[in-house]
Amino acid sequence: MIWKTLYSRLKASLIVMIGISILIFAVARVMPGDPARIALGANASAEQVAALRADRHLDDPLPLQYWEFVKALSHGDLGKSLFTNRPVSTDIAQFLPATLELVVVSGLIMALLGLPIGAISAHFRGRAIDQIGRLVALLGVCTPAFVWGVILQLLLGYFWPIFPIQGRLMDATPVPPTVTGFYLLDSLIAGEPGTFLDALHHLILPAVALALGGMGQVARLTRSNMIEVYGKPYVEMAEAYGFRPWRIVSRYAFVPAFIPTLTILGLEFAALLGNAFLVEKVFGWPGLSRYGVDVILRKDLDAIVGTVLIIAAAFLIMNIVVDLLVTLINPRIRLSSRRD
Amino acid sequence: MKFKASLLASAVLTVSPFLLATQSHAERVLRLDESPVGEIDPAKATDYADTVLMQNLYDTLVEPKKGGPGVDPLLASEWAADGTAYTFKLRPDVKFHSGNPLTADDVVFSLNRMIAMGQGFSNLFAGRVEKAEAVDPHTVKFTLASPYAPFVAALARLPIVDSKEVMARKADGKYGEFGDYGEAWLSAHDAGSGAYTVESQNPQTETVMGKFSGYFLPFAENAPDKVHYRYGVEAPTVRALMSRGEHEISDLWLPPEVIRAMAAEPGMKLLQEAGATGEYIKLNTARAPLDDVHCRRALSYAFDYGNTLKILKINDTISQGIPMKGPLPSGLVGYDPSLPDITQDMAKAKEELAQCKYDPKSSPLDIAWIAEVPARERIALLMQAAFSQLGFPVNVIKTPWVLVSDQVTKPETAPHAVEIAVAAVAPDPDSLLYNMYSSKVPPTWMSAEHLKDDKVDELLEAGRSEADPAKREAIYKELNVRLRDLAPTIYAYEFTGVFVARDAVAVPTLEDPAQRTLDNFNLVFRTMSVAD
Repeated sequence: MIWKTLYSRLKASLIVMIGISILIFAVARVMPGDPARIALGANASAEQVAALRADRHLDDPLPLQYWEFVKALSHGDLGKSLFTNRPVSTDIAQFLPATLELVVVSGLIMALLGLPIGAISAHFRGRAIDQIGRLVALLGVCTPAFVWGVILQLLLGYFWPIFPIQGRLMDATPVPPTVTGFYLLDSLIAGEPGTFLDALHHLILPAVALALGGMGQVARLTRSNMIEVYGKPYVEMAEAYGFRPWRIVSRYAFVPAFIPTLTILGLEFAALLGNAFLVEKVFGWPGLSRYGVDVILRKDLDAIVGTVLIIAAAFLIMNIVVDLLVTLINPRIRLSSRRD
Repeated sequence: MKFKASLLASAVLTVSPFLLATQSHAERVLRLDESPVGEIDPAKATDYADTVLMQNLYDTLVEPKKGGPGVDPLLASEWAADGTAYTFKLRPDVKFHSGNPLTADDVVFSLNRMIAMGQGFSNLFAGRVEKAEAVDPHTVKFTLASPYAPFVAALARLPIVDSKEVMARKADGKYGEFGDYGEAWLSAHDAGSGAYTVESQNPQTETVMGKFSGYFLPFAENAPDKVHYRYGVEAPTVRALMSRGEHEISDLWLPPEVIRAMAAEPGMKLLQEAGATGEYIKLNTARAPLDDVHCRRALSYAFDYGNTLKILKINDTISQGIPMKGPLPSGLVGYDPSLPDITQDMAKAKEELAQCKYDPKSSPLDIAWIAEVPARERIALLMQAAFSQLGFPVNVIKTPWVLVSDQVTKPETAPHAVEIAVAAVAPDPDSLLYNMYSSKVPPTWMSAEHLKDDKVDELLEAGRSEADPAKREAIYKELNVRLRDLAPTIYAYEFTGVFVARDAVAVPTLEDPAQRTLDNFNLVFRTMSVAD
């Protein structure tokens, strides 16, 4: 059953990836501005610009350019960035782990704060604690991540400077040997607890700033779904039986309410990748989202396509994971599939 | 028990990075920032960050003169010009970071590499240098295709690379026996002789440099041992980092209000540089009504120079702009301080407008401002207010740079007016004015005026070929007056870069006028001092 779902989702994802690659390839090229001129700078001569255009096949018809791109991609070559003058795959390999580390920690904060706040609000619905929970969730939803970034930076980096506000490690801290690219994991693998603490210290503010929006969304959805479940006869029956409140919350109200929340949680998690840009800018975080925007502004064609494909792949993977998890935990889907 | 454990963990988490930080105080560290990317390959370097990197990682035969226009010797001990031949004697005591001695072969190799790769400042040399040859290990001779007076100044843009090191690191590539000319290796390492050497390179985030103890010139007593050159740090982050003592010098693109706020904090000072960059409001001379010189002059007189400078003012003595006296900024040969400042004069504007063949009411003007530079919106709005007083309907259009830089290359799509900063790339007026006003140069964003004027062309060519410095100065002074009269551009103000620096760092090249040179060339790390 799981394998069948996985197979159908992978098939659909492949088609989506092909569609996205064609779309972004074309859109990047119709954007105004000559990428060769932008890359070479204002002082480059017309001959230099023409030579670079020829070198990058920019004068070829669009379908031919796309074919060259697909041929190179089949060898794992995403082209060369005009912005950093390095292979795009090298740039992505360098910048992606920083963003993934930030997003994973943000996602954990989002789930670990959002779900309990929503559950507690629903349980104490209409009471003061619910009002506080709703206010916190609303503030999270309506305030953009970069504003949280600046607020947190001001409060905990400027007025009360207890957190670092720039980069992934202090200047004096050596970068741990690269295994995963996640400094938290790499420092543990290398047995460097000081580096681990420094990396964690640097992660807290950007991860919280990035997580707060999604946290509010998750809390609000959990609350409304749980309130709906609280109105179901089986919950009333459990209350009538005198089950403990915690048991009712955790076993009878939370799990059914969690299924729609899980879908949103998955999408919010994937959306963190795109939203990370401004947080990465504010905190000088050397990640892929910031790189993505920089290359778009400089019309760095290969890098734009590479970055968008990676972010699209992350969305699709997250969708597949969510679909599989929903299939696993939702008995209605599981049973209907078996009947089919 | 659990509470105690979490309290302890929190304390360790908060304190441990500070403990780590104290280890770094053993060495003097300088931290400063610029816009990305930091390009460290000498054949590709072009913009501000690249210039700073080149100046500290590599050396050139000459460098911009301190305290005035022109050049000073650096690697060259002396030179002589004979028609189109230039012969340079090299200092014998210069070694690269690899330990190899710097020789004439390295100079020839560096020039050939730059021309072959066709990027960076290769346009200063390609097609102009017919031949470069090593006469002996410490003598190099360049033969030019035709007389080109700015050649010596252009050499300030030719960083000398260690040819042996580069060839030892070459990979397969398209340059025949030279492979990739060391392109891949030089994107992350240096092969220079400069006072600092690359320790790590991330073009988007940071270049870390360490002191090169074998440098041939002296270091300041407390010169930084390590330099962190950061890229793309946001203004609020720069402010917070400097307040925390974790950043020494800001970039020079901060908005005036942020500079004011930072300067008001204790332990901060303001530093300035200028001389090479003009903020030009480029008028499209090929599009009605600005194809009529009287209409252009009317706009030039109507422009609100006073309020523009007020917007840029930081305090009573420091500003991000000073008045211009024509197209030439104050640090270049030909700048004439005796000329009066250009100021707003609505009466003269109306007089000129009366002679213009177009009716302003039926001649709407499109004024573009570059979306990435929000401060320019205010100047565009000042223009709207001033030009409306003359009767022109004015559309102010916010346009991204990629679009502007494309639009302005064609007279039919270029807006009537757009503010663009242009800097001299070498310490010579030719490197600024030729690309802006010569009708021989294919249109670029620098020549958004699309000016076609025989006299201007004649003076530009004369400036290029005249070897006598006094005669050249007279030519550029005449050109300055001619361009003021033709008004293809509103000479809004000369850009003066303002850095915020902590008192803990001394920057003689910015603090002492006698040591200050053209903007872009003043961040010389070895001359700086960082207090404990």
